[in-house]
Amino acid sequence: EKMPAYKVYYFNARGRAEPTRLLLAAAGVPFEDVRFEVEKWPEYKPKMPMGQAPVLEVDGTMICQSAAMARFVARETGRAGKTNLEMAQADMIVNGVSDMINIMIDYHYSEPDETRKAEKKKKFFDTTLPQFLGHFEKLLVANNGGDGFFAGDGLTHAETFFLCLYESISKENPNVLSAFPKLAALV
Amino acid sequence: MPSYKLTYFNVRGRAELIRLLFATGGIPYEDVRIGRDKWPELKPKTPMGQIPILEVDGQVYCQSMAIARFVAREAGLLGESSSDQARADMLLDGGAEVGELLKEVVLEKDASKRAEKKKEFSEKSLPHFLTLYEGFANDSGHFVGESLTWADISFFNMMDFLTAEFPSALEGYDKLNKIIENVKSNPGIAKWLKERPVTDH
Repeated sequence: EKMPAYKVYYFNARGRAEPTRLLLAAAGVPFEDVRFEVEKWPEYKPKMPMGQAPVLEVDGTMICQSAAMARFVARETGRAGKTNLEMAQADMIVNGVSDMINIMIDYHYSEPDETRKAEKKKKFFDTTLPQFLGHFEKLLVANNGGDGFFAGDGLTHAETFFLCLYESISKENPNVLSAFPKLAALV
Repeated sequence: MPSYKLTYFNVRGRAELIRLLFATGGIPYEDVRIGRDKWPELKPKTPMGQIPILEVDGQVYCQSMAIARFVAREAGLLGESSSDQARADMLLDGGAEVGELLKEVVLEKDASKRAEKKKEFSEKSLPHFLTLYEGFANDSGHFVGESLTWADISFFNMMDFLTAEFPSALEGYDKLNKIIENVKSNPGIAKWLKERPVTDH
């Protein structure tokens, strides 16, 4: 059976494409990693289903929305969870992590006022993020004691999303997981 | 059959899609609605300090979209192939983005700012979204394949909220109107729409 041809379109950054790239890499699936500079974006934009990136192209079909892309690749590579309940566990983590990523993107890119930006960032790192890391740690521990994965007994798209969040937050604070031993071990 | 218990406030909000999906699938569940005063007690018992939550034989799940996807899968409304499912996911996520923009309009307390945001939404974001989605809909009034999926139901739910603010939003969008009709005429949904508690949002 012929392997489908995968193409990931995004800017030259990890950003919202990285969870999908990581899943393809984890499965050893070759893909064309198309990265364009910001100036080239107007050329690509009209070809994208919703005028946004990232986009995953599979044998010509284009799928946008980073979680939809990642979940598709996770399913195709057998890493989406084995039962409906495991899939829900993985999805729940992905959504919680995405909420955190969206807060960061919001203050970083959408807040024009420097003071408000600093305020939002402080609130995120002092309050919101530690709260959610606490929730994620608890959920990880609830799955077989926390020495494995978020859902079932293998890597799913939950891990790739969490890893991308970790890469962003650890840049700001390298010790961000010091109070969360199981999450730190997972990373 | 597993026992399902959904807990949320007594509003449609982030739980209504889930309720619609249970109704479409004819799946019985406990529709628990708590008063705001009961929330502080419940909050620490939830996986991420938020509701809605769904309890399935005692296991607790959070994140409304994760729960909705779970129920859609149980009800056979996800889409048949993996690419159908990805298409449904992408359309849902795109809709959710616009839903967030709508929320920003509705929740704006300053009257003049609100009017500004409402104008911008109705002149830019909304027509852009509806035109895009009219293009995604097929002639039979479905977003994915030729039968009802959660993509259609989610769109219906979103329009339910949106038309409260913008009553004539869907005028002229033939295929989108067909989608709404297809959803409303599903027997499980028709029954739920008649019976559900009437709430502000």
